[in-house]
Amino acid sequence: MLRRIRLAYMALVYLFLYLPIVVLIVFSFNNSKYSTGWKGFSLRWYGELLSDAQLLDAALNSLTVASLSATCATILGTLAAWALHRYDFKAKKLFQTGLFIVIMSPDIVMGVSLLMLFVAVQLEPGFVTLLLAHITFSLPFVAVTVASRLAGFDKHVVEAAQDLGADEYETFRHVILPMVMPAVLAGWLLSFTLSLDDVIISFFVTGPGYEILPLRIYSMVKLGVKPVVNALCAIMVAATVVVVFASQILLKEKK
Amino acid sequence: MTRPSFFKVAAIGGTAAWLAVFALLPFLLILVVSFLARDPSSFVAPSFSLEGYATIGDGAFLRIFLDSLAWAAITAAACLVLGYPFAYGLARLRTKRKNLFLLLIIIPFWTNSLIRTYALIFILKAQGLLNTLLLGLGLVDQPLEILYTDTAVLVGLIYTLLPFMILPLYSSIEKLDPRLLEAAKDLGAGRFRAFFAVSLPLTWPGILAGTMLTFLPALGMFYVADVLGGAKSLLIGNFIKNQFLTARDWPTGSAASVVLTGIMILLLLFYGGSGKGAPRKPEDIGA
Amino acid sequence: MMKKFLVLALALCLCLLISLPAWAAKGEVVVYNWTEYMPDAVLAQFTKETGIKVVYSTFDSNEAMYAKLKLVGAKGYDVIVPSAYFMQKLRAENLLRPLEKAKLPNLKNLDANVLDKPYDPGNAYSVPYMWGGAGILVDSAKFDPKTVTSWADLWKPEFKNQLLLHDDVRDVFGAALLIKGKSLNTTDAKDIEAAYALLEKLVPNVRVYNSESPKTPFLNKEVAVGMIWNGEAMRAIEEDSKLVFVWPKEGGMFWTDCLAVPKNAPNPDNAHAFINFLMRPDIAKAIVEEVGYCTPNKEALKMLPAELRENPTAYPPAEVLKRSEFQNDVGDAALVYEKYWEMLKTGK
Repeated sequence: MLRRIRLAYMALVYLFLYLPIVVLIVFSFNNSKYSTGWKGFSLRWYGELLSDAQLLDAALNSLTVASLSATCATILGTLAAWALHRYDFKAKKLFQTGLFIVIMSPDIVMGVSLLMLFVAVQLEPGFVTLLLAHITFSLPFVAVTVASRLAGFDKHVVEAAQDLGADEYETFRHVILPMVMPAVLAGWLLSFTLSLDDVIISFFVTGPGYEILPLRIYSMVKLGVKPVVNALCAIMVAATVVVVFASQILLKEKK
Repeated sequence: MTRPSFFKVAAIGGTAAWLAVFALLPFLLILVVSFLARDPSSFVAPSFSLEGYATIGDGAFLRIFLDSLAWAAITAAACLVLGYPFAYGLARLRTKRKNLFLLLIIIPFWTNSLIRTYALIFILKAQGLLNTLLLGLGLVDQPLEILYTDTAVLVGLIYTLLPFMILPLYSSIEKLDPRLLEAAKDLGAGRFRAFFAVSLPLTWPGILAGTMLTFLPALGMFYVADVLGGAKSLLIGNFIKNQFLTARDWPTGSAASVVLTGIMILLLLFYGGSGKGAPRKPEDIGA
Repeated sequence: MMKKFLVLALALCLCLLISLPAWAAKGEVVVYNWTEYMPDAVLAQFTKETGIKVVYSTFDSNEAMYAKLKLVGAKGYDVIVPSAYFMQKLRAENLLRPLEKAKLPNLKNLDANVLDKPYDPGNAYSVPYMWGGAGILVDSAKFDPKTVTSWADLWKPEFKNQLLLHDDVRDVFGAALLIKGKSLNTTDAKDIEAAYALLEKLVPNVRVYNSESPKTPFLNKEVAVGMIWNGEAMRAIEEDSKLVFVWPKEGGMFWTDCLAVPKNAPNPDNAHAFINFLMRPDIAKAIVEEVGYCTPNKEALKMLPAELRENPTAYPPAEVLKRSEFQNDVGDAALVYEKYWEMLKTGK
């Protein structure tokens, strides 16, 4: 009996979490300008999206920043995770805490603090500032993902490699890296998603000529409910689902 | 082995330098600016002043702070109450498809919160799903005015942040050894007693992690208040955003940010002190 | 397999990086405008005729625009659209680039009465874009519009939780000042404080503050009465004929919005081309037909259908203008207004 209640409750929570999104997606196919009644199935809003040059620009910009920042964050994060696993150095605890604080920091504080940094060094808000900010908040997530993978690693393999004459770099490159590659790739995918989804930090550090998708959606959303926005959101949700699926598959891989 | 490897130095130094420049330094800047004076035509005047803190300690602004803290607390509490039974059920699930159900929680966790907030509008607006249902069932005769109220913002916060509570809880509950509960039962404890005496304390780290992941963002997610609250409801996040981008009172905005960070550090110390220690966070967050 | 993936990802990034300069080389003009203030079709036509890409972003208040402009150091944006009452401040702080009249031949299409005003003598830095005013919109399906004739009517207890106000300090305080018989542009701190005291009593009626798209809550039936700009009202009434616009008896709150070029604009020539384009009669006509406000372009005015020109919402009659005021700069008193505005919005 208790089990039934538990399962029913779980179903309810799933419903709660997914209903709004399902409704949003359903209405993106509604052939009506005002999402009040169902007026028939239509793909016209998706068509409108494709012909909106500004939106496509914003999408391209977002993809650019996401891929570049994910790549840099992955490189730095993987190195960080390896450093923490392999080496013992004086400021190790501090380093770990630093990573943790960046994960926990409220986005708004990160956003305004980075804005202040860029103003102080007179770096114009734009693509570069956006990139730097995105790398910064993605870095710890990669580090954490790769670190969990490294946690179950057999130290003997490293010793064996060193006995065979490999130096630190070679050990890393030829022994460790292939082994943690699934976690590294998962980290890349997660950073990519984080970058595409970020609203608050990007809000503060983006510049005039460089429009990105989440902020564009924010402007559109503030203007009210429009089916075109639904279509855009539906696409982004689909993209997120694909990325999460892919990263989970990578993380579950047993090597 | 005696000469420090270049690779080692690069690996540690590189990331440490990045964090120092882009995480530590900006925060120090905020700290400094919070003690400067405001300048109407520039950003800040280079003179020491406590006006930033004075402004936020003032009656009207103190009210937003306290209101915002209250809402964040309610959000975290609601997420805990709603999320714990769910996480428990999920952890106890004995099916091959367990991963799929887990994935169904991970997806909202990674979906853009703004999109999820927007999705709520379809449910809550005057002609939205909720009102249509209630009117149709005859439960009300006038549409409920939920949108643009504090309630809507609260619902929005809970809705967006629930997965952030569920995942750490799940992580923690999953590690619970069922044999401990059996032992408790063998010793004569009833279901509730077993829960409060065994499960709850052992899942405490998960509860704390989940609370941090819901409480802190609830203070800062200004777009939830903007989209669902009709620009009337103010979270600390809205306040800070206004100070920087509209009112241009950087010292006040910085002071508020410093206080927000202070709250975070307090929570972190509490978490660290509960015996779990910093480096183990990754699994608890369940990324 | 993993290696190939990595190589692919890196290659993709490289391609994107390489193509970056290519995008920058194409001509573009970065425009920063109010929300819902320029039809997409007009932007598309500009690009079609000149090949210059329009990068468009929006703001919902002068204060927000000003803050952003200062943040980027008057760089980054090519064309901005400040209200006239902000022009004084922008000029004083040297944030604008003088206009090269030689590049703006279409200036001759504008009504001479709107040019050479005190906020920008000789139009050295700006040209008027549109003008309009704020009045009251009533949903006749819920309330009788005949009972709403004055700003003071917004305070009526039956409007509890039904009201929309602009998220704009000058508009909201303006309404209160007009009720008290003061000028919209008063710099007297006592007057402003009295306005604040009056506004405190209005707060329970307010359902939403919205300057991004004031017509939307009306169309969604979330609010039934409130302040709104006449252009927004025109568009709202088009979609819902039950909505009725009222010019209050104390007067509307009028403004002029101008086109200006920030001091360090990256593409000043394109900026001038864009501004000149907007002053073409057919373009100005297309804009006001969609956006609903009043055009300062006398040639465009001639081309408008009579029913639009004679619509009292779109083009307020002389007697409304006579009893109304235009919003102007208030100098340092702006800080006083802002202080009370913060208190109003944060109080409950």
